Amino acid sequence: MTQKEESFEPKIIAFCCNWCSYAGADLAGSMRLKYPPNVLPIRVMCSGRISPHFVMKAFQKGADGVLVTGCHYGDCHYMKGNYITMRRVTILKDLLKFVGVEPKRLRAEWIAGSEGDKFARVAHEFTDEIRNLGPSPLRG
Amino acid sequence: MEKFKKYIKELFESGEIEGFLGIRKNGLHPVPHLFTPEHPEELETLTIPDVRYPMTEILLTIVRKYPDKKLGIMVRGCDERALNELVKNQKILPELIKHIGIACSADLAASCRCAQPYPEEIHYGEKVAPVEDRSDIEAIDTMPQEERFDYWMSEFSKCIKCYGCRNICSMCFCDQCTLEDNDLIATGQAPPAIPIFHLIRAFHMAGRCIDCGLCEEACPAHIPLRTLYRKVRESMSGFLGYVSGTEGGEKDPLEFLGSEGYMVPSKIDEK
Repeated sequence: MTQKEESFEPKIIAFCCNWCSYAGADLAGSMRLKYPPNVLPIRVMCSGRISPHFVMKAFQKGADGVLVTGCHYGDCHYMKGNYITMRRVTILKDLLKFVGVEPKRLRAEWIAGSEGDKFARVAHEFTDEIRNLGPSPLRG
Repeated sequence: MEKFKKYIKELFESGEIEGFLGIRKNGLHPVPHLFTPEHPEELETLTIPDVRYPMTEILLTIVRKYPDKKLGIMVRGCDERALNELVKNQKILPELIKHIGIACSADLAASCRCAQPYPEEIHYGEKVAPVEDRSDIEAIDTMPQEERFDYWMSEFSKCIKCYGCRNICSMCFCDQCTLEDNDLIATGQAPPAIPIFHLIRAFHMAGRCIDCGLCEEACPAHIPLRTLYRKVRESMSGFLGYVSGTEGGEKDPLEFLGSEGYMVPSKIDEK
């Protein structure tokens, strides 16, 4: 392993929905749970608001991984936004795979407002996974 | 051919259609043309060449200007798929648009690798066998991941951002185009940022692309766009069971929840 690879710290963008996942991230903080500073949360009103274009833009701008988080099925503040999110993420992952970007770099998780521990755990897991994958091929 | 011209004339006379979007011979060149009952003599120049035009795209332009006219349109298999999708997206009223079907020749079907080279009702030509060919997708699927990435990046790097793929596309009917959104794609700058430009368009084709292949024909840089969109089309049918271009039924599941119990896809194989 070269020096460069050893010091690789991934940049991860986490899109969090306002009602569940962002509250979950907040709770992780209130609970004094540590999660890697690589994860940068961006608050959106609903996971259904996360256009695949945002995800692409994140990758284009040098993100190594993108985490899409939302409410569990049935919990969505806007009733059904997260169903559409999961469909989009699936198609986008398949497209990424087809153009030679590891689909693992995009991950969708449902995190409730009460699941601060889950947010921290997912952030840890995902950061480790992306660290193992190495820098995104899209990094300029 | 005479029979076909007579049929159009009859439709004009009975008032069933007030215009017919077909192709006429202008000197040596076949060009799309709107035939009208006011000029029935123009029907003499009506021709059915072995080339394709974005007929539904032209139809949309006419419909925007004359939303309440009854129009006939010359449709091939691909045009009909486009019309079906336009109806689902509420861009045209099916009761105002009469399909006048043309079956493609075997040559055209082969060069288009068309999976359905005929519309439902045929008024001209003979049905030929569909061509099932997914060798283009298979060739890329079998490449190692890094090679795939290099392949697509080298293809995308040829792009001159002419928007030809979008402009010719029958399914690109949005009033505002995300490819002209300055926050996503820097406008007024060429070449475009890759692969975001092409992947955003590719994603937009999910649930829409009817696999006519005109984008690839239009591309001056010969980027294998159709392969990319065919892949998305396959993912849509594989994960969500949606095939765009079919008549009626469910709408694009990426935009509409649908009635089937809020279906969510199975997990994808990430290898």
